[in-house]
Amino acid sequence: MRFELFIASRYLRARRRQALVGVITAISVVGVAAGVAALIIALAITNGMRRDLQQRLLGSTAHVELMRTAADGITHWRSLTQRLRSLPHVTAAAPAIYGQGLISRGARSGGALIKGILPAQERTVSSLLNNIREGSAADLAPSTNAGTLPPLVLGSDLAAQVGAEVGSTVLVTSPQGELTPFGLVPKYQRFRVAGIFHSGFYQYDSSFALARLADVQHLFSEPDVVSVISFKIDDLYRAAAVGREIEAAAGPGFMTTNWMEQNQELFRALRLEQVATFIIIGLIVCVAALNILIALTMMVMEKTRDIAVMMSYGVLPSQIRRIFLYQGLLISVIGTAIGLAVGYSAAWVGGHYRFIHLSAQVYSLDYLPFAPRWQDGAIVAAVALLVSLAATLYPSSSSAGILPAEALRYE
Amino acid sequence: MTEVARIDQGDAFLRTEDLCKAFPSGNGTLTLFRDLNLTVRRGEMVAIVGESGSGKSTLLHMLAGLDRPSAGAVYFGSTLLGKLTAGQAAAFRNREIGYVWQMHYLLPEFTALENAAMPLLARNMPKNQAFAAAARLLDEVGLGQRASHRAGELSGGEQQRVAFARALVAGPGLLLADEPTGSLDASTADSVFRLLTQLHTAHQLTSILVTHNLDLARRCDRTLRLRDGQLQQIPVAGMQPDQTPPESTADTGTSNVQSSCVRVQAPGPA
Ligand SMILES: Nc1ncnc2c1ncn2[C@@H]1O[C@H](COP(=O)(O)OP(=O)(O)O)[C@@H](O)[C@H]1O
Ligand SMILES: [Mg+2]
Repeated sequence: MRFELFIASRYLRARRRQALVGVITAISVVGVAAGVAALIIALAITNGMRRDLQQRLLGSTAHVELMRTAADGITHWRSLTQRLRSLPHVTAAAPAIYGQGLISRGARSGGALIKGILPAQERTVSSLLNNIREGSAADLAPSTNAGTLPPLVLGSDLAAQVGAEVGSTVLVTSPQGELTPFGLVPKYQRFRVAGIFHSGFYQYDSSFALARLADVQHLFSEPDVVSVISFKIDDLYRAAAVGREIEAAAGPGFMTTNWMEQNQELFRALRLEQVATFIIIGLIVCVAALNILIALTMMVMEKTRDIAVMMSYGVLPSQIRRIFLYQGLLISVIGTAIGLAVGYSAAWVGGHYRFIHLSAQVYSLDYLPFAPRWQDGAIVAAVALLVSLAATLYPSSSSAGILPAEALRYE
Repeated sequence: MTEVARIDQGDAFLRTEDLCKAFPSGNGTLTLFRDLNLTVRRGEMVAIVGESGSGKSTLLHMLAGLDRPSAGAVYFGSTLLGKLTAGQAAAFRNREIGYVWQMHYLLPEFTALENAAMPLLARNMPKNQAFAAAARLLDEVGLGQRASHRAGELSGGEQQRVAFARALVAGPGLLLADEPTGSLDASTADSVFRLLTQLHTAHQLTSILVTHNLDLARRCDRTLRLRDGQLQQIPVAGMQPDQTPPESTADTGTSNVQSSCVRVQAPGPA
């Protein structure tokens, strides 16, 4: 053990008779380091993506939502909300009504999902109202300033799209329409922009508008009904089970969805991306391992006679094998250590300074998130070491197979 | 009177028995030795001469267990070399055999001291002990001052002295020297040879020296010539190099035509 390591580490450091072997050795160290660093960074990014998307999503989405199977609206929502709020694992509940509408200001317009809420309750299940960037959401509280235009809080991208600012008046058109003596005419209503929110989650910022529950009911000509009751629960990952309990408690005709179900596609895509990244970048490590194979094979050839001499004074083939095994492992360990250091530093710097910006439309996030995890480092290091180990198998076993009499015959 | 007759078996330090070596060569076989018998007594210093290609190096390889005979056996005392497992053979070489070659064959990445200590390090002796033993031997071969030099920084004679230190550091009983002065100039060769004889005495070695230099050979206890696959003794009294001695009996074993080489050739011993 000690002997093998003594020889291996000296072989690694020594200047070589054949410069090429040294160059290839250096390339293999750099290759392993590059592969490991790239993997750490890439995994930190996909992990950051998932973490930040999830965070924002959960800020803006309820954990569980209850709605009617028949989409006919929940009539007795006050008592139902009250009752379901006291279920185990449920920490908060809030009613809301949704409707699809067109928001326009002059010639500019944009489709929006208009959500009627009771702000005091809404705050307990979603953080959208905490992300007001301009103006305020205070006006959304029920029955304030009757007589003035009803308030509306727009997502930042939606506001930009229709060219609305705080204080602007916008027209909200409901496709439901109203039957008049002149036939079916679209129903519209003017709203005052009271605030603009920015959640950082593009789907919300580009298509959500918040209004008072009663105003939205009125806009869509609905009686006193809500479309969903949203819940916050104590364990995110038990959303499905708690959802089933809520369904059961609410009685027939109700169904629930949860945040995981609603964003299944997104999370599946992220996981797939992570696997693909791992495989593709893992190829760098394989190429580096190939370099280890070449470097060691050349080194064995260079050292053939020295190996024979060692055998003449009783060094065992198994010891010779370990010399080259350790050499491969040393290359790999050094490369991996450098790679981990570089990868984690880069991920830390990237996460700290957020200097890489993304297009929010494409990625939902407007910066590149980094969330390095130590588990990733452990897996990457293990993979790098295993792949390198595989690369040393051939050269080390060929070194052990050297026949001393053959190797010493010439010269 | 043959060697065989003169030496009783208990006296033999090293003994070969009907040693054969043949290589497949081209479409036939090249038979290097046929029933070669050699007996070396403890403490003897034997010179082996012979033309280039006569098989001297191959013979030493087989004596050290680095190569396998096609037939026959090598005994150290009562130990049959061919019976040892690979691990036992390696341990045996490590403790019992010192080997030097025409080239120094030192590891270029290591200092003289480290090179000299290699056989001890290889058996995982603690470094300080191994280096202490190596330092003693470097002193003995007159290189105490050069311990920290790499092989490349030493002269040819010095390199060969380090090679001797390495060969003897583990305290072997047998020294095999394959033309150790072959690449040295005459005066360096002479001093290296004198070192060899000194070490031979000081370490109570049994030595086998392959050389082309008949002057050096003559200074050994015995000189054998390897020719046509047989060892012939050259009498000490001023022999002409190529003159066959009247009694060519460096242990000619049986000169039976039905040689064991022929018999055992195909499978060879395990
Ligand atoms: N493995 C082998 N295969 C074929 N021929 C060999 C082999 N080993 C040695 N020889 C041949 O045996 C002969 C003796 O070699 P060697 O022992 O080195 O001679 P010497 O040391 O006396 O010059 C040479 O002709 C060499 O080519
Ligand atoms: Mg030779």
